[in-house]
Amino acid sequence: MAASTQVRKSPALTPGLLAWLALLGLLLAIGVVSAIPVFTRGLVLTNMNDVVPWGLWITIDLSSIALGAGAFTLSAVVYLFGLKRYRSIVRLAVFVGFIGYTSALLTLIIDIGRPDRFWHPWVFWNVHSVLWEITWCITIYLAIMVLEFLPVITETKFFDRWPWMRRAAQILHKAAPVLALLGVLVSLLHQSSLGATYGIVKSRPIWFKPSMPIMFILSAVAVGPALTMAVAYVLEWITGKRRIDHTILRTIARFSGFGLMVYAYIKFWDLAAVTYYGRTPAVSEGLHLLNQQTPYNFGFWFGEVIIGIVIPIIFFLLPRFNRRPFYLVLGAFLAVLGVIFNRWNITVTGLYVPLSYSPGTLYHLPPGVYSPALVEWGVAVGILGYALVMLTLGTRYLPLFGNQEHS
Amino acid sequence: MSKKKTKVKLELTRRDFLVVAAAAAGSVVAAEALTTGPLSPFANLKQGQLEGAVEAAQRAEGVGYRWGMVINLDKCIGCGYCQRACSATNDVAPDMAWNIVVEERGSSGNPFFFSRPCLHCEHAPCVEVCPVQATYHRSDGLVVMDYDRCIGCRYCEVACPYDARKFNWEKRTDVNEFIPTWGIAEVERRPRGVVEKCTFCIHRIDAGLERGLMPGEAYEATPACVNVCPVGARVFGDLNDPGSKISQELEGNASFRLREDLGTNPNVYYIPPKEGL
Repeated sequence: MAASTQVRKSPALTPGLLAWLALLGLLLAIGVVSAIPVFTRGLVLTNMNDVVPWGLWITIDLSSIALGAGAFTLSAVVYLFGLKRYRSIVRLAVFVGFIGYTSALLTLIIDIGRPDRFWHPWVFWNVHSVLWEITWCITIYLAIMVLEFLPVITETKFFDRWPWMRRAAQILHKAAPVLALLGVLVSLLHQSSLGATYGIVKSRPIWFKPSMPIMFILSAVAVGPALTMAVAYVLEWITGKRRIDHTILRTIARFSGFGLMVYAYIKFWDLAAVTYYGRTPAVSEGLHLLNQQTPYNFGFWFGEVIIGIVIPIIFFLLPRFNRRPFYLVLGAFLAVLGVIFNRWNITVTGLYVPLSYSPGTLYHLPPGVYSPALVEWGVAVGILGYALVMLTLGTRYLPLFGNQEHS
Repeated sequence: MSKKKTKVKLELTRRDFLVVAAAAAGSVVAAEALTTGPLSPFANLKQGQLEGAVEAAQRAEGVGYRWGMVINLDKCIGCGYCQRACSATNDVAPDMAWNIVVEERGSSGNPFFFSRPCLHCEHAPCVEVCPVQATYHRSDGLVVMDYDRCIGCRYCEVACPYDARKFNWEKRTDVNEFIPTWGIAEVERRPRGVVEKCTFCIHRIDAGLERGLMPGEAYEATPACVNVCPVGARVFGDLNDPGSKISQELEGNASFRLREDLGTNPNVYYIPPKEGL
């Protein structure tokens, strides 16, 4: 472990860095200022209501967990499939995953009505609930990521004082393959259960279909690694140091491209089955209403399919584009946008279509009306700020690209 | 270098593996003991709650009751008294009605009035999805809310096919205009951040049975909406007892339940209007 202690100069406060820190401070301040009244006065400050009880914040939860999927995917590639040469990116992937999962938990704490009871799912079990299972899986997986990451943290200079901690972490590191296996199992479970959260709700025609969990996990596995790849490139551009071999990054992009193709394939048959071959009256009515009153089709085809799938596939797979890092990063960010679009569409459109239970013909519940309130956007900005702060601190103080120990 | 396939050596000796495996198993046992097991600081609480609920239910209903309601759409005149009595008795906010009454029309254009409490489904989607069992089935068929356990995730509200659940978006400060004209509040207001719904006036059922009164027959043991109905459109009682008023009512009339296609098996039955639906 010669490379473990890295001597660092105190950071030079260039104007660029100062501006960046000021921006981060601003984002965090906006987040805090928005979150405080929500805690003190309640969710009444949001635009969520009894017809649309889930909104922007749930979208952020779903998206950030999906985007954290690079951690388990790349860990599996290295530790289960034995492709050792991708080892150099695992640390970054786990770190990005950690940021994604903690962002989701932060948002969730604000989103639930009783933040003081956040621990209830751990004590009061309802094993029939997908949401209970998700809470447990996310907790376990977060713990796994921390364990996977401890050796990296103990490599910092700070731990020079306690060499025994570093040794303990090294012993722990031997368990990395076991942790990775456990992480993969738990991730496969909860990434798909997040889709099942919607897919099992039989009273909502737009949601109720078995393809939901499959589409959730495929999109997560495809886009998560792409985000890690993009982060690696961006960090390289900012720090000016090439940390990860470009052939590795390009392979990851191509993997994501193929992943997106599989996702698109399932999505196509889902579309055909739900809206064409198997259209039930409830689904037809729901889609009709959505198309009449919202830009549903445009959002789906433009936001999810063109931006989120087609353009990234072109950038990731055509040699003309995928030799140029710029297009890979652009493609990754478009794919990320596509995932966010998709999670938003699923959450809000499913709730927009009103329930129907009355036996008569006159009484219809109004369609759900929802657009996020200012505090909701504020908290979203704060969460973005948190993610960027973590990334900045990690880049600065953690050996994210520290050379891999070949013990 | 890409040609050379290097195999990852799992750097685990058998000893290491055993240590890790033992640690993992140990922590599972420890976690179990600490959360639900004897070492848990919540063990007493949980056990107490469980016993309390089961005991109360068994004591109260002598096991074997199945509470249900019949709503006769042919009799209902749409006066909305049931909604008012419910709002007063359970201190419900005006925009969060547990019990709704609306104008409806059958397929041949015939007008009728439709009302809906919580249907207390046998296979309740809300009970299935709740991550903390804050809403659960009692053995007498009631779907109960535990306001002290609810975390306010609102999944039950999303999953309920009948729009029966409402969330407390803020701390209530409103003055209930139905009190005291339509009754007095018999239960506490629900705190901010939890979901609530119709309880079939569970407090009356339990207190009534304790005093030897039969819900559905004795006034004090019967839901407020049933008592107040001026035309007797609502009948409450034990569906398991073939001699009860509700069973007789179901015997003598054709009835249906809401969205039977969903398989939720509600305990609320409807008698259609004579002119048809």
